[in-house]
Amino acid sequence: MKKFFALLTFLSTWETNIHSAEAGMPQLDPEYWFSQIFWLIIVFITIYILISKIFIPKIKGSIDMREDKIRKDLEEAKTFKEQAELKLKEYNSLMETAKLDVKKITSKSRQKLNEDMQIKKEQIQKKIDAEISNAGIEIKKLKNDSFDKVNLISQDIVSNLVKDIFGEDLNKSSIEASVSQTIKEYERDKQK
Amino acid sequence: MATNPMEQFKVHKIGPEIEISGINLSFTNASLFMVISAGLILILLLFGTREKKLVPGKIQLISEILYNFIAKMISDTAGKKAKPFFPFIFSLFVFILFCNMVGMLPYSFTVTSHIIVTLTFALFIFIGVTILGFVMHGFKYLRIFVPSGVPIVLLPIISIIEIISYLSRPISLSVRLFANMMAGHTMLKVFGGFVISLGLIGGWLPLSFSVALTGLEILVAFLQAYVFAILTCIYLNDALNLHH
Repeated sequence: MKKFFALLTFLSTWETNIHSAEAGMPQLDPEYWFSQIFWLIIVFITIYILISKIFIPKIKGSIDMREDKIRKDLEEAKTFKEQAELKLKEYNSLMETAKLDVKKITSKSRQKLNEDMQIKKEQIQKKIDAEISNAGIEIKKLKNDSFDKVNLISQDIVSNLVKDIFGEDLNKSSIEASVSQTIKEYERDKQK
Repeated sequence: MATNPMEQFKVHKIGPEIEISGINLSFTNASLFMVISAGLILILLLFGTREKKLVPGKIQLISEILYNFIAKMISDTAGKKAKPFFPFIFSLFVFILFCNMVGMLPYSFTVTSHIIVTLTFALFIFIGVTILGFVMHGFKYLRIFVPSGVPIVLLPIISIIEIISYLSRPISLSVRLFANMMAGHTMLKVFGGFVISLGLIGGWLPLSFSVALTGLEILVAFLQAYVFAILTCIYLNDALNLHH
């Protein structure tokens, strides 16, 4: 660098010698040094004050604002996501309980239905049984009645027959006895 | 005919002569271009911060990129403690960058191509950093000249070297910027002069050089502003966080 610098100085003096103008570098002429320092200080202090008091806070403000906005948006998105996840969980649990409820209700109603059917069956069975027993009693009654009637008819027939054949009446009791005797014998034979 | 390539660095007064107690403080073309650069900075920032939009416009984006760029530079090199100096580094970087860039316009004046300007900045930073170091650490700040882990035999030599390097900081800082700007502009002017003197037949070669150099110089203009700012950050870091 120093060599280059020396070369430059040499070059410039050489050029000035050619043109026979003022010697050397104008930078080394102290005539306006203080003026330059003075104006530099004024200008630099001015822009320093303006930049530090006005522009840097403004730029910082806008950068901070943007960062704040981005951070807030991200946070908001995060909370929204959490909320959505919570809602999803809630929905899932709701679905689960609903399914369980459905199962319970169906099993309950099935049970109830079965019970009802059982009760109805039993009732109907009872009714049928009662009817059957009634019918049995009636049949027995009818059977007995028919026996008595057959007895009476056969007694009548016997008395009439005896009257026609023998021309005289037999006493009733003997007829009865003989009829019942024959019926009994008949039944005994039948049973045999 | 080619004019003197150093003529562009000449300072001449504009308007009346201002003299305060025998010191010439006249408004010059250098002062004018300082004001122009400052004005451009203020216009950019004014339009950049006029409205706080969630999705920034072009100029707002530029100012925010500038802000983030410098904030990152400071936090990378000097850490959290350097935060109070953010406005200063910001102003310094932006001012030097704009002075360099305005200087790239033809017929303009490059404020930073004057050693007195860069030296003022460098001395201010040097003195400020030194005072800051002593305020933060007291006399322990002198430990900056005594690196740890050095054999005791070598310590005097190392310390002397450290002291010399510390004291040469303002010179290196100011000369780096000033020489870069001056050399670039001189070179551009010399090649421009060649274009004229070689005429229509031979002038194309230096012209193409000129175009290439202009690109290079724009890069250098940015780079030197960046280097100046980052070295300031590094010096600040030395004063704030005594590492040695």
